[in-house]
Parts: sequence; structure tokens; C-alpha cells
Amino acid sequence: MESGGSFPFPPPFDEAVRRHERELMRYLMRATRDREDALDVFQEMWLRAYRAWPTLASAEGVRPWLYRIATNLCLNRSRDRMRRARVIAEDAPEFATDNSGVNGSNEGVIHLRAAIAALPRKQREAFVMRKFGGLEYEEIAEALACSPESARAGVYQALKKLRAAAGG
Amino acid sequence: MRHRTVAGGIPRRAFAAADEFSILADDLPATRDAGAADAEIDAMVDSAHRRMARALRRFRRPAVRAGITDSPLGRLLVAEGPRGLLAVAYLDTPGAAPAFDALRAGYDVTVDLAVAVRVRKEIDRLLAGDSAPIDAHPVDLSLVAGDFQRRALAHLRRVPPGAVVTYQGLAEAIGAPSGQRAIGNSMASNPLPVYVPCHRVIRSDGAIGNYGGGVERKLSLLRAEGFAIGSDQRLPPQAVWGHRRSHIFCRPGCAAVRRATRPRWMIFADAEHACGAGMRPCKLCGPG
Repeated sequence: MESGGSFPFPPPFDEAVRRHERELMRYLMRATRDREDALDVFQEMWLRAYRAWPTLASAEGVRPWLYRIATNLCLNRSRDRMRRARVIAEDAPEFATDNSGVNGSNEGVIHLRAAIAALPRKQREAFVMRKFGGLEYEEIAEALACSPESARAGVYQALKKLRAAAGG
Repeated sequence: MRHRTVAGGIPRRAFAAADEFSILADDLPATRDAGAADAEIDAMVDSAHRRMARALRRFRRPAVRAGITDSPLGRLLVAEGPRGLLAVAYLDTPGAAPAFDALRAGYDVTVDLAVAVRVRKEIDRLLAGDSAPIDAHPVDLSLVAGDFQRRALAHLRRVPPGAVVTYQGLAEAIGAPSGQRAIGNSMASNPLPVYVPCHRVIRSDGAIGNYGGGVERKLSLLRAEGFAIGSDQRLPPQAVWGHRRSHIFCRPGCAAVRRATRPRWMIFADAEHACGAGMRPCKLCGPG
């Protein structure tokens, strides 16, 4: 006589935190490689998720949606930092060429980083989610609001460009 | 720290790691256990919890438990917060969508069928003639639209089962004698039908008037509460007018009813209900 099955309410927030917090912290640790950064983004992403929670229709898309918020925050953060770094570099040219201590193997790494930054947004997000978040194509598709085939194609295109960049 | 973060949100050190996982070798997802050790992740999550609880406290939405029940009055959405029942909505009416929206936007809703079961049982009792469980159920008027509606609905909680007031009388009782139409709107958008008895408001001419849940439901409720309303959907001839202050009840045509001011009158289903509410019959018209 009573039912809750087709309830048009978002799933309980605290339950979603419990279920996803460890893997997201792991993802952020992998994406930022810095304990404090990971903690900052972790807090920010849950606050944002909480505020936008009423817009969620069901429990179905929660995980990719959370990854999407986390990924966007990481991207925003690095964009801010690059902007700040550029200002510093313009003010003090000596910092701009602070690659003097970098050895040969790291040069390739820097090259790859620049190549990732140069990827179109969708390819970059798909690539980061796949490679750093370990998401399945279905999940990436949901997070990026595209088909799984399109998500796969995005990662494939990203890989192709990055391999070319790494090789050349 | 700044110089360690790089394009794409991936810091330099991640790329060293990325090389180890041969990130470009295939399109397999990254191994999920790569990166920090479990114990470190656990410690980070623990420390994040304390910070998050502090940050969230500022804009945490109140928690409510909600469920859907097939009551004898039809399918109902029911939501209860810590201070009492917050929303009751007939799912087959236009009033249901605003109820869902208000709950979704302003509350953390968890599904709890116990609330729905309790409401259904209380409605069963009401339709069997016992309104005590519903009268005793605490209500939370947070979803009430404004001060006017709040005053109108608060006033209604004092109208007992087996009695009704008129739209005009209710408007005058809350100090808005020309607010008859606004009273009608306030009743139509009552977030707690049945529990705040907006079905106990009728038209001054004796017709039972409209209802947010449909006239059929209003009829069922009023009949269950003792009004012998026929197919003409009007007050029955045995209905009597009771004066709240003097505690005297009269026939509708009594001179005393016409003299007295409307806000102080309630209409009872019959003399028995009026006596049950502590009233005595008028000596002029001798009702009942």
C-alpha cells in the first residue's frame, strides 16, 4: 500500500558521501598528487554537490556526476594557477625559465602535460576521467552527457594526439 | 606547491606515475588501487569529515522523511520533519507538483514508509469517525506561503470535526473582511490538507464549495465528520449555528444568528455535535 520506489527525490546525500568518498579522495589524490590540494578540492566538490543536490533526479547518475564536479574543480584550479603563474612570470622573468634543473626524462613529461592541456575540453575530460579516475566509458558518457561511443572516441582521439606529441 | 600543478589539473609528479602505468599504451582505465595507500586515504577522509561538517552546517537543509500511500482518500504524498507533519498532497491533483518541488528544493528527503503508513491509519480512523489521532498529530507550517495563509490555517485548527466555518466568516475572523477570495486561494494551496482541515470551510449560502483535492473528497470528509450532506451538496437542514463566545447554538433562521457578527459563528452538523462541543440550545428558536 505504501511505496517509495518511483520517488522523484534525489538519493540521501550522506549515503552518497559514505559510498563514494573514498574512491573520490583516491581520484583527487591521483589527480592533484598533493594531500592539501586533494583535501581542498574534496571539500569544495562535496559542498558544490550538496548545493546542487536538489537538481539530481535519481541515484543512477550520481557517481559520474560527482567525478565530473571533481574533474572540473581540478581543471579550474590548474587554470587559476597557470594564470597566476603567468602573471608572476611576466613580473619576474627569472621564474619563467625555472626549468633549468629539469632533467631529460622530465622534459618529456612536461611536453605531455602541455599536450594534454592543448586537447579539446571534451577529449581532455574524457581522458582524465578514464586515466586518472578509472571510470568506465558508460560513466564518462553520463558525466559528459554524450554516448559511450563518443566517450570512447574522445579518449581514443586524446591518446592518438598525445602519442603523436610524445613521439614527436 | 604552485609550480607542481600543471595543465589539465595533473601535476608533474602524476606524469612520472603516469609513465609507470604506461598511460599511453592502451585505453584501459587506470588501475583503481594506484596512488595513495588505503590507510592514507582513510586518514584523509577522516580529517575531511570534520572540516566538511563545519562547512556544511551553514547551509544544511532540514531533514524530512517522506512516503507515498494509497489512502482511502486516494494516493497521497506525505512528508514529516522533526517538528511535525510538513506536507500532504493528493497525487492526482495539480497541488502535487508544487509540494514535490518545495520538498526537493528546501529539504533533505529520505524515503520512510512508516510515516506514510501512520498517515494512512490516521485517515482510516478519521473516515470511521475518529479524528483524535489527526488532531493530535503535530504539524509544521513551514511550507505555508505567507502570513495571511498562516493565520487562516492556524485559525482552522480550532474548528473541530462536525463543524465548519464559512469563507467569509474565516476572512473576518483573521481580520480581513474583504479577503474571502484570498481565503479560497489559501485553502486551495494548503500544504497539509486533512491535517489542517481546509475541508471545513464552506460557502456562506450553505453550498459546500470547492476543494483542492476535488469536491468528492470534501464530501467524503464532511460526511465522515457527521454532516448528512445529500446529492445537492448543501448543508443539511438539521445543521445549527453555534456562537463561539456565548456557547449557544441556534437554527439557521434564528434572529440571534442574524444579529451576531459572523466571525464568531461555527456551523455544526446537528444539535448533537453542537452539544458535544459544549454548546447549549438557544431559548428563542429551540433547535434540536
